[in-house]
Amino acid sequence: MTAIEVEGVTKLWGTTRAVDDVSFRVPEGSFVVLLGPSGCGKSTTLRILAGLEEPTAGRVLIGGRDMTRAAPAERRISMVFQSYALFPHLDVRENILFGLRVRRVAREERERRLARVAELVGLAELLDRKPAQLSGGQRQRVALARAIVSEHPICLMDEPLSNLDAKLRQEMRLELRALQRRLAMTVVYVTHDQAEAMSMADRIILMRAGRIEQEGDPDALYGQPATLFAASFIGTPPMNLLALEDGPEGAVVAGSGVTVLEGPGRGRILGIRPEHVRITEEGGVPAELLATDYLGADTVISARIGDQRLGIRVPGRFRATPGTAIRLAWSPEHLHLFDARSGRRESGPAGLRGTDPAPVRIAATASKGGGS
Amino acid sequence: MRASRHLHHVYGWLLLTPAAILLLSFTHYPTVATIWQSFFSTGTALRPSSFVGLDNYRFMLEDEIFWKVVGNNLLFAAGTIPASIALALLMAVWVNGRLPGRALVRMAYFTPTVLPMIAVANIWLFFYTPEIGLLDQILRAFDLPTRNWLGDPDTVLWCIVVLAVWKEAGFFMIFYLAALQALPPELEEAARLEGASRAYYFRRVVFPLLMPTTLFVLVNAVINSFKLVDQLFILTKGGPDNASSLLLYYIYEVAFSFFDDSYAATLTVVLLAALALISLGQFLFLDRRIHYR
Repeated sequence: MTAIEVEGVTKLWGTTRAVDDVSFRVPEGSFVVLLGPSGCGKSTTLRILAGLEEPTAGRVLIGGRDMTRAAPAERRISMVFQSYALFPHLDVRENILFGLRVRRVAREERERRLARVAELVGLAELLDRKPAQLSGGQRQRVALARAIVSEHPICLMDEPLSNLDAKLRQEMRLELRALQRRLAMTVVYVTHDQAEAMSMADRIILMRAGRIEQEGDPDALYGQPATLFAASFIGTPPMNLLALEDGPEGAVVAGSGVTVLEGPGRGRILGIRPEHVRITEEGGVPAELLATDYLGADTVISARIGDQRLGIRVPGRFRATPGTAIRLAWSPEHLHLFDARSGRRESGPAGLRGTDPAPVRIAATASKGGGS
Repeated sequence: MRASRHLHHVYGWLLLTPAAILLLSFTHYPTVATIWQSFFSTGTALRPSSFVGLDNYRFMLEDEIFWKVVGNNLLFAAGTIPASIALALLMAVWVNGRLPGRALVRMAYFTPTVLPMIAVANIWLFFYTPEIGLLDQILRAFDLPTRNWLGDPDTVLWCIVVLAVWKEAGFFMIFYLAALQALPPELEEAARLEGASRAYYFRRVVFPLLMPTTLFVLVNAVINSFKLVDQLFILTKGGPDNASSLLLYYIYEVAFSFFDDSYAATLTVVLLAALALISLGQFLFLDRRIHYR
């Protein structure tokens, strides 16, 4: 079953296209993330789903019914706002029950639902507090409880975790996902944080400048980025993108003599994830080490091939002085090829070359290579 | 090191001095002097001022005009305070919404506040003047009986009330408007998603959140209802038969027409004490029921 269907939705602010011909489906019970940088139209799209904005063109179907012009309350959805939108003068109990009171739900029913939800999100002890007396994480839970207590099948979330500190955000991520599964809610979740999207989503809709850039499950977005934008937006650090030039034997990395694939190089861009680049002692591609960034579990090394910079992720701690000459290797199946002008992924990986077919031992003090 | 700290103190006091001088000479000294004087008789050429204890207060309690004026003032307060606050809130909600020519409407509502009361009173004189005034002209157009609005003890106080409401509502509106604009728009959106009607949202959310503003406006309205008497000078001079006289205007008359300084001081002390008590009561009583962000 499809919970939400968006068909060719466009929203104009004056002459700017905030949302530009966007279509997607949200299956029932799934967790869909609208991901993109600020100003990409993801929040506007969510507000159109909520009925807080009217689209300039296109249709929104909820539960199979056309709800494009329906009032927010008719859509049977709940929403969690980035600012939580709690009523500051009402205590937690009244904040959670606000909607039930509006809809005149009977007293016993109200109490039953309140008790269940308060238990579910861990607010049972705090029902008499005012929002100002709660921590950020607790306020977040109240907002969540208010959404859950309505028992609406669909919940929209607009960057609900962005006001929390990093540690709490990670915990809430897991909790939110577990809650969504347990209650079989359909969630449409807006965020600019790709890590959040990767960890929570069944399906990611990556947006840019009002349009859908790529849509798919987290694996597909990470493993098969459809565009340069998708490649550079997803992953920390993002995919290395190396400009290519024509060389004597095929395409070379710009500013170097390293041949990486057959055929022309000019106008194409080679992509490779930092964890797919290895450091080898012999063979491979000569590069210059620029800096190392130790992150605990791994080290991200900045290096240069020709005039193209790239990042390399190696496990453990890697010590080296900047300026050291190193050699880099990768396997052909990890390469991605993009057209520089259109930014689109090139269909076949034909002609891609690994730099060194043989597995190699790793130089320096890193304990293990970055995969083979 | 010590010298510089010393200098610091000197700077501090120098910066405070102008304000302190103004405050002392125009607020604290007159207050104390007034209280002091209320215990003395008014001196004349023959009989110099002497200490009379509470005689002035005793005289006041027997003064019929005083009671008449207090009654007038209570009616005036009852007429102006709720009406001007309600009107202010209504106008604020109205001009806070999407509205063509919003800036113009806001300005129009605020204009009465900017105009000096004397000018305002002169304008309203044209409305209230018998026969040729705007009010009577309208009544005549519908063949209704005209009346001498300001000359009739039954209507004169209400004429003053209407004028005061008109003058004050715009001023209070500005505070409500500021408070309304400080409300995060997500609150309304959250309420809309839950299916709350505009009236329900206003009653359950907006109005309680405006309570701090309401208290502030209320205190101001109460003080103004005892303070605003400029219009009386133009419109009625307190007449006819003190039907429109208010406490402060009576004090002015006692002091500057009858030249009874001590009795005027006594009335002033009573006025100040009443205002202080009312404000204190409002803050103590209402503060507990108000949610401050």
